[in-house]
Amino acid sequence: MLQQLVSRLLSAGVVIIGVATLVFLLIHLVPGDPVEVMLGESAQAADRDSLRHELGLDKPVAEQLMNFYGNLLHLDLGMSLHSKRAITEVLGERLPATIELAVAGMVIALLLAFPLGILAAIRKDSAWDSGSMTVSLLGVSIPNFVMGPLLILVFAVWANLLPVSGREGPASLILPAITLGTALASVLSRMVRASLLEVLNEDYIRTARAKGLAERVVVWRHGMRSAMLPVITLLGLQLGALLAGAVITETVFSWPGIGLLTIEAIQTRDYPVVQACVLLISSTYVVVNTLTDVMYAWLDPRIRMGGR
Amino acid sequence: MNNLLRCPRVPFPRLALGRVVDCGSPWRGFFVLCGLLSLLVACSAETTDKLRFGMASAPVTLDPRLATDAASARINRLLYDSLVDFDATSAPVPALARWQMLDTTHYRFTLQAQRTFHHGKPLTANDVKATYDYILDKSHVSPHRATLSLIKEIIVVDDRTVDFVIDKPDPLFPNYLVVGIVPADLAAQEHTFNKDPVGSGPFKFIAWPEDGRLVLERVQDAQQVEFLKVPNPTVRVLKMLNGEIDMTQNDLLPELVDYLRNTGAVQVTTGPGINFSYLGFNAEDPVVGKLLVRQAIAYALDRATIIKYVMGETARPASAILPPTHWAGNPGLQTIPYDPDKARALLAQAGFSAAQPARITYKTSNDPFRVRLATVIQHQLRQVGIEVDIRSYDWGTFYGDIKAGRFQMYSLSWVGIKSPDIFSYAFHSKSMPPEGANRGRFRNTEVDHLIDAAQVEPDRDKMAQDYRQLQAILLRELPYVPLWYEDHYVVTRNDIHGYVLAPDGNYDGLITTIRDHRDRLAGIGP
Repeated sequence: MLQQLVSRLLSAGVVIIGVATLVFLLIHLVPGDPVEVMLGESAQAADRDSLRHELGLDKPVAEQLMNFYGNLLHLDLGMSLHSKRAITEVLGERLPATIELAVAGMVIALLLAFPLGILAAIRKDSAWDSGSMTVSLLGVSIPNFVMGPLLILVFAVWANLLPVSGREGPASLILPAITLGTALASVLSRMVRASLLEVLNEDYIRTARAKGLAERVVVWRHGMRSAMLPVITLLGLQLGALLAGAVITETVFSWPGIGLLTIEAIQTRDYPVVQACVLLISSTYVVVNTLTDVMYAWLDPRIRMGGR
Repeated sequence: MNNLLRCPRVPFPRLALGRVVDCGSPWRGFFVLCGLLSLLVACSAETTDKLRFGMASAPVTLDPRLATDAASARINRLLYDSLVDFDATSAPVPALARWQMLDTTHYRFTLQAQRTFHHGKPLTANDVKATYDYILDKSHVSPHRATLSLIKEIIVVDDRTVDFVIDKPDPLFPNYLVVGIVPADLAAQEHTFNKDPVGSGPFKFIAWPEDGRLVLERVQDAQQVEFLKVPNPTVRVLKMLNGEIDMTQNDLLPELVDYLRNTGAVQVTTGPGINFSYLGFNAEDPVVGKLLVRQAIAYALDRATIIKYVMGETARPASAILPPTHWAGNPGLQTIPYDPDKARALLAQAGFSAAQPARITYKTSNDPFRVRLATVIQHQLRQVGIEVDIRSYDWGTFYGDIKAGRFQMYSLSWVGIKSPDIFSYAFHSKSMPPEGANRGRFRNTEVDHLIDAAQVEPDRDKMAQDYRQLQAILLRELPYVPLWYEDHYVVTRNDIHGYVLAPDGNYDGLITTIRDHRDRLAGIGP
């Protein structure tokens, strides 16, 4: 188990370094010059050179990359080229909003997905099944940039119950969280259904039924525990995606999180901020996936035993 | 009723969840949900009487010595005073100070009425010097240094008088002194004006708790204004209708403006703007380098139709960068008429035919509205036999390509142009990037001579005459095909009054904006 964890952590480190390098090189390759964005077109060549020097952008890319790694070791993500503020400070400001939205989205997804998925599985081929799967198909098919404005129109403009956008008090969290949560719930409920159906056809479930156990006990105690494995994997991946910043949802709802910050930084060619955001996003994915693996092992004795 | 009576008999808590369902009353759940939502809304509702102003982008820095982006410049105008401002004809007029030209390279500025900074200190000549010294200091890399680098020396004569000595005669020099003045004492302490601005303007800084939320307070009556960044235009419109913002200016698609106008819930006011849109060409390209082809394009465009149907009547046809109302503008210039037959004849003269059409690549930004305009222009040019291939890119890539001369044809706008030195910057053969913005590599000795003469002409009327002649030549040579000046529009809730639109789109109207509570009481407001 420990060996498995160590190798998992090592490979996670390699992935993070790989992503950081790739992003560093890609952002330097795309056309568009941060110095130009900061000084404007009318700047003198000497000022441009001087700013380039000040920002360290006149050094060879390889040297800049090495400096980037060096600073990373000290957890120094650098300064934003535009706001001239420490990036850790900027990320610190944005992260709570993203975590808040991700957690709320996840809670809504779980509250919707499990009842829908379980209902569809235990009443397979009934109206419940086709009904809940149609709802989930709709959820998957409606992209967030359509779902978001639709919810705003109904709940904010017509019903005047909730604010349209922004992060102003708990009420403003509801619509973005529903937008994020329903999209995830759709995928999740299909996974719960498929996974539970597969498990319910297993021999040990038949044995459990033959023992005369109540259907509730069969489904919950014996069925769900096994059916949870693939669901948790998907949940881990999706939580990573949510924490990494739901870019579209954050843009639609002007939600000041990491996703919106990334988009703004790309537009203004704020290299260090883009790098830091992507690094944060990839680290989140890796950490959440590693945690998922650990949880997987805890849930499935076969994996736990195999590791020993 | 039966349901309600039956409910209490259901054992609690085992079937508590089932009770709502058993009662056959999903409505009860709905009402509970609505109640909870209302409670949440009530908890988070604003109780203050701020004016809330929705913007597409937030300011980057509130330090006027370093700001370049439009959002920062507009907010900084509210926070800081400058020596010089512009009147309705874009001529420089005294703001903080009157000036006199002692000789062609020596200007004296005398501060007018007593002004006080928001931290309580009076504004003096020392503050003026400190502000401009900071910009001229190479170590600070201010974007304004390029324009102001002709300043050789700044001399404080007394508390109210400051002299500027420049290294060569430039009759437009006062036009450049529009940077907001910061207090010298705080500047000496390297105060972070970018996040904590202290000026002497009509508004003072209150808070900037997050990137997209900035609160200022009007000095005269303590009315607070909250600037909220709402990047998505549709969401901004919905916030407007929902009463979450009181006003928003520009950056909406024409159909959204029309929609707002038709709702009656808000007022839409439009005003003439000076932002000039044009098609630019690469003079070194074998196709669009030919004057005949550029002329054909100019005649093939039906501007009136585009303005009416695509832009929702929010623009006016243009013939030059400076509008006719500008002090150096040329009211005598005629807009190039829509004449497809003439366009076809010109193309034939240039050696193109239906069998061998002119093929042009047209670069534009990926802004949906710009792409829509490009598509309409593509269609109109196809009618006369020009095949246009549209390439849209994200802003950084597009702008990089334009500056590097990697284009045949592109469309862009000059925003807020007030000083006629734009002609030197955009058309002089010495202004090829990176030296200037002659992106199309346009070379014309007549234009160069006229610009050189106008730039040193001390008599303003003669200078205006030179520039008028220059604009006539540019309309003949067509380094740009002029398209239109885009109007500005402001959308306000019905209880908001007194906002006046500025031709350059600044937010000075907020100085006189009030909320009329009687409207709100009468039920017109939110």
